[in-house]
Amino acid sequence: MVVLLGALVLGGLAWLISHKRGAASAARVDGAPPRLPERPFGGKPVPAGKLPGGRIVVSGLTKEYRGVKAVDNLSFVVEPGRVTGFLGPNGAGKTTTLRMLLNLVEPTSGTATIGGTRYAGLDQPIRRVGAVLEASAAHKGRTGRDHLRVICQSAGIPLARADEVLELVGLTVADGRTFGAYSLGMRQRLGLAAALLGDPQVLILDEPANGLDPEGIQWMRDLLRTLAAHGRTVLLSSHLLAEMKLLADDLIIIAAGRLAARGTVASIVSSMTHGGRILVRTPEPGKLAAVLGSDAVVTPAGDGDVYITGVDAVAVGDAAQRAGIAIYQLVTDRPDLEAAFLKLTTGKAAIR
Amino acid sequence: MTLLDSPALDQARDTGTTPLRLIRAEIMKIRTTSTWWLFLIGFTVFTALALTSNGFSHHYQLYPQQDISGRAQAAQARTPAGVAAIAASMMTSGQFLGVLFAMFLGVLLMTNEFAHQTATATFLTVPRRALVIMAKLTAAACFGALFWLISTVINGITTPLYLHSQHVSTAMTGWIVVRSVLLNLLAFVIWAIFGLGLGTLIRSQVTAVVAGVAVYLGGFAAVELIFHGIYYFYRQGWVLGGPVIAPAVASNVMITPGRAFPHAPPQWAGLVIMVGYALLLAAAGITLTRHRDVTS
Repeated sequence: MVVLLGALVLGGLAWLISHKRGAASAARVDGAPPRLPERPFGGKPVPAGKLPGGRIVVSGLTKEYRGVKAVDNLSFVVEPGRVTGFLGPNGAGKTTTLRMLLNLVEPTSGTATIGGTRYAGLDQPIRRVGAVLEASAAHKGRTGRDHLRVICQSAGIPLARADEVLELVGLTVADGRTFGAYSLGMRQRLGLAAALLGDPQVLILDEPANGLDPEGIQWMRDLLRTLAAHGRTVLLSSHLLAEMKLLADDLIIIAAGRLAARGTVASIVSSMTHGGRILVRTPEPGKLAAVLGSDAVVTPAGDGDVYITGVDAVAVGDAAQRAGIAIYQLVTDRPDLEAAFLKLTTGKAAIR
Repeated sequence: MTLLDSPALDQARDTGTTPLRLIRAEIMKIRTTSTWWLFLIGFTVFTALALTSNGFSHHYQLYPQQDISGRAQAAQARTPAGVAAIAASMMTSGQFLGVLFAMFLGVLLMTNEFAHQTATATFLTVPRRALVIMAKLTAAACFGALFWLISTVINGITTPLYLHSQHVSTAMTGWIVVRSVLLNLLAFVIWAIFGLGLGTLIRSQVTAVVAGVAVYLGGFAAVELIFHGIYYFYRQGWVLGGPVIAPAVASNVMITPGRAFPHAPPQWAGLVIMVGYALLLAAAGITLTRHRDVTS
């Protein structure tokens, strides 16, 4: 009996060691991260709208956690062939919405479909939809390559596909490393590789830029743009506006689980900049106000400058020239996406 | 040829999830981590130690110290039935704690998904979660059978040599020996499934393992205390057979030919109870997992 107990202790020890090894290798990042492959990616371009199976329709989606509505009656459509940014402050319900779309979280009410079918009803889901949900989503003691091969095996995809996507994201030289030894950027790229395994029509990414260096972000931006140009649907969430401005065609902005705005990037910005003001520096502000007509409202801006609203910059410049008034500076003070975003979401985030 | 083209996908004719592919994926999950060889080495070493210990105890049974009762026992051990019983015991060396390895692996098959946040990838690939759990159950059963195979090979090589060294002999293919070996297989498979079910109920890896050990080792004492308490007030013999409702006791009843303890229910009752537990846990696991939100 003593021998038996001893053996049990030995087994327990072995188990502990295996866990320790995982933890130790997680802290170690050896060598330089592998280089990203060349851009652009090429492939067969597909005209926009040619892949109707990639349309995402979210309708009345609601998720309630213990009486609190994390997502509240949310509806929107994501079109193929475009990059759609899903924007909102932290805790706005972006991740919950994406997880409901992917059948990982059960909605309290409402539906979410991809190409008209719920995710759970798709025949070969990863051949249709690729998703990158969080950075640390592989076993720490398993190599990235094996992680992908397990997914291939489950989905019935040839195991050789794992090597193709590793090459695509530039992780080939790292394939002997376990996931625990991956840097955050490499983990993101492995996540992207997993999403691309099935060569899907639809890509859904939750905060994909997290942990990527500027080069990596540029690389991913090009990849996503290329995929959208090939008719694929790209939906990505972010709380970073600057990133979205560079990448997205369309925006869906949510705050406190509700839809705050949706439309093209340009339309959202212009809807917010409607009624933007013009900052003018001139030695004769009083005379300028007199020649502008009754539509213009002139208010002092300090240092002798004035803000003018109600007319556009061209009208101000023309009027000044006709009246022979010197203009030293004429700037349209346009609220940018950042300001628009803050205006849409401030206050709502605070109640959460 | 560009990076977005895929010869692998173009050449594949038949893609898609099938039960067999899912089971192979579950086996792959274990094989691609260090769990695989740690369990293999741990179990092999453990079985060898148990075999040695078992060998010594049977040696003293056959060749007792010089006292009267010992000699009477030795005479009984040397009868054909006695030697067959020794052979059966040697062939199942390490079983009592060995099934814990099978149970732990079952627990790991499930809890690893949450401990390493791979549940998301798993359920994205196969949204039909019941199918995933059933594949895991089958994989757990396969691993249980594998542990049994390893232990049977080690014991099967050693036991005839041991019997020869002790100057006794018996037919290794006799029913008594074969029956024990087959019941041993059943124990390994059922406890592996039990472990998997436990892992679906208790998602924390450490808690599930501790609970498994408690059920297996502590279960004996607790139920015996309870049923002896009942017997104190209600003196019916069958009450003492009551502890069979505990999985550990049921397992013991299942693998013991004849009566495992006084007033023990028959062997088949242990089997029915064990299969019942395995089915109950599997059903609970499937039901729970189907509607559970996967948030990490």
